[in-house]
Amino acid sequence: MTTSTVPQAVRPMMRRRRRQKAAVGWLYAAPMTLIVVGLFVLPLLLVLQMSASNWPLFGGNQGVNFPQNFVRAVSSPRFVPAIVFTVQYTVIATVLLLLLGLGLALLVQESSRWKGFLRTAILVPSALGLASASLLFYVLYSPLVGPFAGLTNSLGIDLLGTPVSALWSTVFLIVWRFSGFYMLLMLVGLQGVPEELYEAARTDGATSWQIFRGVTLPLLRPTLALTSVLAITGSLLAFDQFYILTKGGPDNSTLTVVQLIYNSAFQGQNDLGVAGALSVIVLIALVIINAIQLKAFRAPDEE
Amino acid sequence: MIQITSRRAPVLRRAAAVVAAGALVPGLAACSDSPTNAGGATASVKAGTDGTDDGSRITLWTRAPLEKQAKLLVSAYNASHENQVALTVVPNDDYVAKVGAAAGSNSLPDLFAADIVYVPNFVKQGLFQDISANIDALSYKDEINKGHLTAGTADGKEHVLPFVLDLSVMMWNKDLFKEAGLDPDKAPTTLAEFASDAKKVQGLNKSGTYGTATGLNCGGCEVFTWFPSVWADGESVMNEAGTEANFTSDSAKAVFSTWRDLWKSGAVLPSSKNEAGPTWTAGFTDGKVGIMPYPATLLSSTTGFDVGVAGIPGSKGGESTFVGGDGIGVSKDSKKAAQAWNFLSWLMSEKAQVGVLAKDNDVVSRGDLANNEYSQKDDRLVKINEVAAKGQTPVSLNFQQAYNAPGSPWLSLTRDQVIGSAGDLSKQNAAITAILGQ
Amino acid sequence: MTAIASRAPREVSLARARHLKRLPYYVATAAIAVVFLYPMVWTLISSFSPQPGTNQTAGWGIGNYLTLQRYQDGIVQYFLNSLLETGICVVLTLVVSLFGGYAFARFSFPGKRILFGATLAILMVPYASLLIPLYVLLNRVSLGNSLIGVALVLTMLQLPFSIFMMRNAFESIPPELDEAAEIDGCNSFTLLFRVLLPAVKPGMITVGLFAFLAAWNDFLAPLILLNDSTKATLPLAVANLRGQVQGVVDYGATEAGVVVLALPCVALFLILQRHYVRGFLSGAFKG
Repeated sequence: MTTSTVPQAVRPMMRRRRRQKAAVGWLYAAPMTLIVVGLFVLPLLLVLQMSASNWPLFGGNQGVNFPQNFVRAVSSPRFVPAIVFTVQYTVIATVLLLLLGLGLALLVQESSRWKGFLRTAILVPSALGLASASLLFYVLYSPLVGPFAGLTNSLGIDLLGTPVSALWSTVFLIVWRFSGFYMLLMLVGLQGVPEELYEAARTDGATSWQIFRGVTLPLLRPTLALTSVLAITGSLLAFDQFYILTKGGPDNSTLTVVQLIYNSAFQGQNDLGVAGALSVIVLIALVIINAIQLKAFRAPDEE
Repeated sequence: MIQITSRRAPVLRRAAAVVAAGALVPGLAACSDSPTNAGGATASVKAGTDGTDDGSRITLWTRAPLEKQAKLLVSAYNASHENQVALTVVPNDDYVAKVGAAAGSNSLPDLFAADIVYVPNFVKQGLFQDISANIDALSYKDEINKGHLTAGTADGKEHVLPFVLDLSVMMWNKDLFKEAGLDPDKAPTTLAEFASDAKKVQGLNKSGTYGTATGLNCGGCEVFTWFPSVWADGESVMNEAGTEANFTSDSAKAVFSTWRDLWKSGAVLPSSKNEAGPTWTAGFTDGKVGIMPYPATLLSSTTGFDVGVAGIPGSKGGESTFVGGDGIGVSKDSKKAAQAWNFLSWLMSEKAQVGVLAKDNDVVSRGDLANNEYSQKDDRLVKINEVAAKGQTPVSLNFQQAYNAPGSPWLSLTRDQVIGSAGDLSKQNAAITAILGQ
Repeated sequence: MTAIASRAPREVSLARARHLKRLPYYVATAAIAVVFLYPMVWTLISSFSPQPGTNQTAGWGIGNYLTLQRYQDGIVQYFLNSLLETGICVVLTLVVSLFGGYAFARFSFPGKRILFGATLAILMVPYASLLIPLYVLLNRVSLGNSLIGVALVLTMLQLPFSIFMMRNAFESIPPELDEAAEIDGCNSFTLLFRVLLPAVKPGMITVGLFAFLAAWNDFLAPLILLNDSTKATLPLAVANLRGQVQGVVDYGATEAGVVVLALPCVALFLILQRHYVRGFLSGAFKG
């Protein structure tokens, strides 16, 4: 469109410039491309190949057997329960993280010394690695040396013992570790809401709940989209916390899909083919879920 | 450009190393991309009886639970030999993943140890080299622990020697026994006596003190401590080939019902219910548990109270033990098999068995050395060595998946029989057979 | 202080009343702070406290830390390994995402969308299932069993976040700045380093801090990819220490290990907190 206004002679030059610019762009993108292709795309292709091959952990590639691995993965008695549990965990974790993130953000939004301290206190756990945090809670929840051992023992509660308590104990760890991060993302989103809009609403006599629903929430839409994509993807791929805290127990009640992948590969079955097939299923599911989510959160005017 | 050169260099270097070593690797393994060695065909090691001690660097992997013994052995070897062994310790739960990753790209260390129950599978997958000729040449071959040797034998060829033995034995806290009015020097001779001892200790009603403990969410713990009761009765837990489970025998039923009764009566440490292994012995070590089947390697960590040791009884009065621990062999990828054998032959010698292992209060893996200067000092060690001779090591290819893996059918069976609804045992038994027979 | 003193008595009592009215608020928020801080404080304290079954059985002391020091090559060696691995990862992440973010924000080139999609897809693949293929590939290019190889893998895992972050940081800079600089005779390279770099610095600090935290704490990659225990990193050593004979947990060593693992992270986090938050605020997340 713009080209029509440009004189004929300039066009090839512009095209050359554009091509030149594209080449420079590629040059800047080269390092990351190298890493993405070499360390992600290639291994991923190998996972695809594994998923279509008879590939025992110790034996190596024994040839194509598609679609046997997928059949075996799906027909495993652990498959459906693992999906159900993972989805259940994802819903709980996502809802809690978003609610707490937003709630805490609203709580510490303005700047004062006390609120600054609160913000830091809530953020500090996110400096810990998930594995360290899980180890920390492993000791904390211990019925032998944990600080609540006396209390829980006398109440007859075992924090990691029953399916329900193990789930909620893990959820607590995740909330503890990640609330700060989600609070920060929400704070950034809140910062993007122009002050004038609040003032206008206030002069119109809106209650604070009305302001929240009518002004804050709609304008937080992109932030909510991002945070829910992150929370859902992260929770669906949950591994470390369950691997360290519960190992999928008691009675397989906290077995997540990724733990199932890990078990298929390294704990018993030792079958990289089935593990690969499960990974491919997870990847496809996540791509679809994320696409749906991003579409659902897209504001109407953005089409 | 960079990619091409860096890709070629290691192949060339490796090829050069192969030529220099004078080894004719079948199919030029250095160039082939896909991991070979799938069908169990393994090269055999031929070296002099003592192997080669020429100052080579040998790599050795072991899992974390055996770190103490492995370190003692390696430093004693390194101090007295030209060869130097470099030890790598891998977390227990990730050991199979680590070995699997290395095996797939032909980069296993020269030597590696493995939980003896996994050894049959590793041997079948061709991860160990055949060392029959070397083992056969040992004058004391017949004295080496049978269970470990058998686990490492496939098609009549031996691949593995015992690295460190670990036995399950009945241990009791003599102080608590005295308090409960029990004879502190009398071991339970049947499962029923074990249960009544545990209940007596429980009857002290001391807060935080329990009759017994175990790991009811730990397949490996239960295998280790409950199988011996079946063996003590002269029964078996599996068929010879390790492809069929046999937990419907009266002996097996007696084990389950004894624990069910103990659990119901409240004599079991409550956290045992969900104990997945990491702390299953901690209660006893802290002096808060009266009596339990317990790993012999932990004898030295029970300080502060007196401990009695005996074999694990069955329902009819015999005793037995699970001869666990780790076997060790030369890996399929080792280019220094002769040097690696030098370590193994030293490991089996009196110097290592008595001078290192027995000195550390560990069980020796040669019957002729069971009575040594160190064990004589402690009659409990004599007892452990004595029990070792009556023990067994179960052999099955799919052992890990059937028993040790989280959520294994064995765990489903025991949880249901002990703390669940005690449902159809033969059906649960069949579920284990289904995995074993794969 | 002086301000309060100079106030009229009536005003002071009013302020006091207002504070009193806010008391439930302070109690509630203090409780929140306690919930978030307590687990770490408790771990720090109990790592020095006496516990049976650890190396610190009687009295308070550093017995558990001595266990760490005595472990194989000693904690100092593992600390240095971790530092090296993490350092490489942070530098690589910064360089790669600076160039990558710049390319995505300011250039259009064929394959751009695919590359961006592929980068985000890293988030969607279970990390554990990539490790075996990575092991095979790294060995083939002679990067197996090396801290550089591990750092490369960790850099890859950081890419979705860091590229996204840096792209948005560059996009939040008005393009007029580029044009003005170009008129001044800057090429794209000098533009990036002289003009844009200072503007995206908060974003880079956030990206660098994230890379540090992730690399410092990662367990699976060094576990699978490193073979020599002299090269092991801290999380690996702590995990090894945790399981003693028969997998019995040494709680004391675990606590001490968590403290040693967490201290550098928390310290760095507190030092960089202001920049880190500003990095997020610099228009980073617009969805």
